[in-house]
Amino acid sequence: MRTRKFFTVCMIQVIVLCFLFVPGIWAADPIVIGVPTSTGFLEGKECLKSVEMAVEEINKKGGVKVGNDNRIFKVESIDIRDAAPGVPVPEALLGLEKIILEKKPTALIVGPFRSEALMAGMDIIAKYKVPLIGTIAMSPASEGKIKKDPEKYKYIFRSCLNAKYLVKYLAGTMGFIKKQYGFNKVYIMNQDVAWARKTAEITNKVYFAKAGWEVVGQESFPTGTSDFSSALMKAKAKGAQVILPIFDMPQSGTLVKQWNSMKIPSLLAGFISPLAGPGAWNTFDKKIAGAINVNFEMGSAISSAKMPKAAAFVESYEKRWGSKLEAGHGPAPSYESVYLLAEAIERADSVDADAIVAELEKTNREGVMGRVKFDAGHQAVYDMDPSKAAVAAVFQWGEDGNRTIVFPPSVAEGEIKLPKGLKAVQN
Amino acid sequence: MFTGTIIYALINSVILTLIAIGFNLTFGISGVANFAYGAFYILSAYSTWIMMHSFHLPYFVSVMISIILTMALGALMYQLVLKRVRGQAISEVIATFGIGLAILELFRYLGFVGFEYNLPPFIDSSYMILGTYVDMQRILIVVLGVIIVVLLWLFTHNTSLGLAFRGIAQDERTALTFGIDSDKIATLAVALGAGFAAIAASIIIPLGSIFPSEGYDVLIKALAVCIIGGLGSTGGVIVASFLIGFAERFTDSYIGSHWTMIVSLAAILIVLVVKPSGLFGKQKELEERI
Repeated sequence: MRTRKFFTVCMIQVIVLCFLFVPGIWAADPIVIGVPTSTGFLEGKECLKSVEMAVEEINKKGGVKVGNDNRIFKVESIDIRDAAPGVPVPEALLGLEKIILEKKPTALIVGPFRSEALMAGMDIIAKYKVPLIGTIAMSPASEGKIKKDPEKYKYIFRSCLNAKYLVKYLAGTMGFIKKQYGFNKVYIMNQDVAWARKTAEITNKVYFAKAGWEVVGQESFPTGTSDFSSALMKAKAKGAQVILPIFDMPQSGTLVKQWNSMKIPSLLAGFISPLAGPGAWNTFDKKIAGAINVNFEMGSAISSAKMPKAAAFVESYEKRWGSKLEAGHGPAPSYESVYLLAEAIERADSVDADAIVAELEKTNREGVMGRVKFDAGHQAVYDMDPSKAAVAAVFQWGEDGNRTIVFPPSVAEGEIKLPKGLKAVQN
Repeated sequence: MFTGTIIYALINSVILTLIAIGFNLTFGISGVANFAYGAFYILSAYSTWIMMHSFHLPYFVSVMISIILTMALGALMYQLVLKRVRGQAISEVIATFGIGLAILELFRYLGFVGFEYNLPPFIDSSYMILGTYVDMQRILIVVLGVIIVVLLWLFTHNTSLGLAFRGIAQDERTALTFGIDSDKIATLAVALGAGFAAIAASIIIPLGSIFPSEGYDVLIKALAVCIIGGLGSTGGVIVASFLIGFAERFTDSYIGSHWTMIVSLAAILIVLVVKPSGLFGKQKELEERI
């Protein structure tokens, strides 16, 4: 009888000790990260997975230290569908407001897909004072809004490339093409959405007009366009040596197929989302040799041996999710943004929105894309040297189905080569 | 450039005909506006992809199975849902649109999003026609489009089942007195319409990729063509397809691509204002329906 009592008391003590010392039992509430974006699109889907991966890594190490507590992250996502053709901005904003009100996130990562939705959503974010680190929408107009009223819009940051920096990369690539092969006639084809229109407009004004290029044509295509034959015929008829495409819609894959089947004698150099990932080689039946694509951030579906963190991220993603990264825009900054947020919370020692924002502004972290710092418009600075700023990666598809980074020079692995059938104007 | 535009306008017109003909056939015979039509188009494309990549079946076997499966699903939809609401136009539209939405969003939810979801062309080569390169898939679309329209005409005019289809389309009550089972014919009409969606998907999808939102585009295009041509009129569908097809490519070439969608919408508006029943949608000339 006594023995039984003794064992019962021991059991109770063990259970009580377990409750007291097993980590997690008395842990503080998790810190909620909201991911409102178009998860039905490749970029949105892979951005969400990248956020989840970073959260898993941080939680595995014990979470984020706030005061005396180690708090883990929890991801809540919502498909706001703003990338889908025909979905009005107000409908996307309902999703944004819903996640803020229902899930009470400490911060938002990724955010609206379309700049139009981000611009309109900035007031909602300012109203509820939830920091956002955007990783897809690219129009620099949001920075203008922040600079104009910093107190109101200080909660909005962007860690991905914006249209202005994209122009810098496009101009660098075009400059190389002109110098190396003497090409100076370009046909611009862009999607009719804010970031793509802005990119085309700035590239035209800031670079082509001043660098001796002749823009033989420019056309905007509504999202959802699935036949590019007329524009390609025009490009051919006007003697364009380079076609500069700027598209993030899945239908832009048809442009690549038609460029190929119509045997258009122009170099395709710009951004087409279906061309960004390693799967494009098979998607386009191994017929994309020579095409040049700008992956907006190093680590988004491409990595360089010169940047080990980017290579590690791409490898870890494949290991974690069992498939390769295919989106050339979004995943790397989404992953990186979780770490930016974690560091800001730890430095602030608080989950208060204003304290987090103040620390995010001081960000100086070397990560997947290079060194991340935010400027006055809360835009991550992109340049050519990964030790000083974040970098994008311009690559060219080779005849062997491999992608070679050709720009910026600090991470380049080779030079731009003319595809079969194209001849240099000068050498 | 002008010749090239005509060639690609012709191809575009045939694509529109192929997209709209199944929707039109179902409406013309059963009176059901199948708003799940775009979803059937995408469902068929995904099932072909799944059979090729998960079950490693040959391409053409996968296509054939997908067409049969889509037809079966169409018949099932009629028997389980539409039979109960037939004749109530709003209920039919809500029910079919709901089913279509569920199919498309299910694919999105299951993660069928990405550029790897595409179908290979039947023959992978290009030929120069009057100074313009055209790929073999587009040439096949034109040839198959003509064959399908001719076969459909022969079927509806020379087979007992086809004549039963026309009978129901012209006057359901009179057809019933001749022993034609209207529910059976309507089931077949919905199934056949779904089958046409599947055929269109298998020959058009290789030009691009498969993604759920394409289902909505296909439905809108089918509706646009049918409204302009006159709901239920096969001849109207062909004429409207050529009108829109040529207008779109000529707008692309000589005005600007961002005006292309506006041209189609303007055409619908003008036709609705001038001739509300569509170009060939004369209610009195019922024999024109199929």
